[in-house]
Amino acid sequence: MAAAMSFLPNLRNLFFPPASSQAKDRGSKRGASWFWMAVGVLYFVLPLVATFDFSLRARKGVLSFLAYERVFKDPAFWKTFIFSLEMAFFTILVSLLLVVPTAYWIRLRLPKLRVIVEFISMLPFVIPAIVLVFGFIRVFSGAPFFLTNTSFGTNVLLVAGYTVLALPYMFRAVDTGLAAIDVRSLTEAAQSLGAGWGTILFKIIFPNLRVAILSGAFLTLATVIGEFTIASFLVGINAFGPYMSLIGQNKTYESSSLAIISFMLTWAFMGLLQFLNRGQASSSLAGAH
Amino acid sequence: MAFLTLTDISKYFGGVAAVERFNLDVEKGEFVSFLGPSGCGKTTTLRMIAGFELPSSGTILLDSEDVTYKAPNQRNVGMVFQSYALFPNLTVGQNIGFGLQVRKENEAVIKARVDEMLGLIHLEQHQNKYPYQLSGGQQQRVALARALAIQPRVLLLDEPLSALDAKIRVELRLEIRRIQQALGITTVYVTHDQEEALSLSDRVVVMSQGRMEQVGTPFEIYNYPRTQFVAQFVGQLNLLPITGLDLAAETCLLAGQTVQFEHHQSRQLSEAPRLAIRPEEFRLGALEGCNVLSGRVETVMFLGAVVRLRVEVGGLLFSADLFNERNITPPRVGEQIEISFPVHACWLT
Ligand SMILES: Nc1ncnc2c1ncn2[C@@H]1O[C@H](COP(=O)(O)OP(=O)(O)O)[C@@H](O)[C@H]1O
Ligand SMILES: [Mg+2]
Repeated sequence: MAAAMSFLPNLRNLFFPPASSQAKDRGSKRGASWFWMAVGVLYFVLPLVATFDFSLRARKGVLSFLAYERVFKDPAFWKTFIFSLEMAFFTILVSLLLVVPTAYWIRLRLPKLRVIVEFISMLPFVIPAIVLVFGFIRVFSGAPFFLTNTSFGTNVLLVAGYTVLALPYMFRAVDTGLAAIDVRSLTEAAQSLGAGWGTILFKIIFPNLRVAILSGAFLTLATVIGEFTIASFLVGINAFGPYMSLIGQNKTYESSSLAIISFMLTWAFMGLLQFLNRGQASSSLAGAH
Repeated sequence: MAFLTLTDISKYFGGVAAVERFNLDVEKGEFVSFLGPSGCGKTTTLRMIAGFELPSSGTILLDSEDVTYKAPNQRNVGMVFQSYALFPNLTVGQNIGFGLQVRKENEAVIKARVDEMLGLIHLEQHQNKYPYQLSGGQQQRVALARALAIQPRVLLLDEPLSALDAKIRVELRLEIRRIQQALGITTVYVTHDQEEALSLSDRVVVMSQGRMEQVGTPFEIYNYPRTQFVAQFVGQLNLLPITGLDLAAETCLLAGQTVQFEHHQSRQLSEAPRLAIRPEEFRLGALEGCNVLSGRVETVMFLGAVVRLRVEVGGLLFSADLFNERNITPPRVGEQIEISFPVHACWLT
């Protein structure tokens, strides 16, 4: 304890050196920022590297992709992954059709309601998914819905639940996208040219929200693919989230390789998003002239 | 029968009047401007013609049809916005063709019209560019072409040049007038810039605080302003306090010096009438048959075509704009000068 105490002032001197010559000052500041950068990188990268390293050790004594091979050869991997992809697709579709017209109308006609709707869209962050899924089952499994009696009905419930979970991402993304275009003038210009609401939404608003919609969609996709709570209560092991969790409990090496695979997927999505964003950023920058 | 008629149009926002008892007849092919300071209700009036706002009372007739409550996309009215409002996801050609696309015209018709419009605005080479690849002036031309492509019954423009720099503004102003006359399209133009309104319009509606102050040709508005607001808002105006008013003789004293003016019986005088003179009515020196004042030059501003003086006469300050002439050296600051203005050029308000 005493040792730690006496160590502290030295640490302070190292990162916040007492005033000295300016050049030296700047040099050590740069050194400090590099140090913290390195700490950050290690914090994120080390577990990843360790997991990756571990995932390669399924075969005793040598490094191999055996664990990956096993994962990819498991029919349940593909079945659950594709199922979750499908659910993600419908979730994105439903939430876009729900969120885009809503956010658009709020920007256009009801700006005062924006704060309230934004708050509502944030509720999934506050209310645990378990509460949501219990509520769903209570209300929709009995009369007059009986939704959980068929697999189609259950999938509908699943998509509905995911749509709620996706709300914060979708609303945020779409609303930010709408803020970047002059919604009112574009709408009025289209109206004066004879366009009705459908034309305005699908020919003008949706296309101009391309990047916003993509980012909302990717975030939704990432959420849905890995989602555990709602899926395990409604469809159990048929979905990718519960599948991953099961593997994690039973198969050591495969679970590490699964972690790496899903990490890669997420990164690929993010990279794609950055790429698409870049095009948009430069074009809107040019538009400012 | 006028082509566009606004009858007793009023618009209230939460009990506050934005436009009150607006009455106007616009003839077919006429170019009418709404001129007034910011917040006087120009945009609101224009938006009621376009259908984006519904009047609280009154009616709007367009081509003998009551359109007061008709949806904006049913009116066939072209609109040009200050912010251009081009569709960022469509090319120049697609923007111009949008209205016809919506009307489900066939491709050949659309293509022909788009080409015609591109020719009209001289942007033929830019058909496949996106709005962000164009300058502000070019974007506004495209917006104009887009509004005209649907062959609207009326063209409405809301401060279309305000976002552009001075030089482009003057160029595009001429362009708008040229195109308007070439097509003979009925046009309503909103601006707070008197020079724009005066140079473009067949008639100008001067507005203040939701009310019409005066409607007339630019010549009438400038030379025969009917209210003090119009006189002050359109052009520059010196308003000078007077004493010793003799209405019968049409004379008064301006800082102790006698001034002759023309008085119209119809004109209502305020309690403390003031003498109104436009700065450009002054000439240097004592001219015969004119009012002559002697005073001291306070400031001299050289503006190119004109030299703007501030002259002090017995404690009163007024501005006088003299034409710049190469062979005449302008007066210097502090110099005592005599300065004249015609009797018909000043009036009491
Ligand atoms: N949607 C609206 N809600 C409330 N007040 C408005 C609205 N639109 C305009 N106003 C008010 O009406 C008046 C006239 O506005 P506007 O027509 O935009 O003036 P202008 O175009 O001449 O600058 C202003 O006082 C403005 O604040
Ligand atoms: Mg306005």
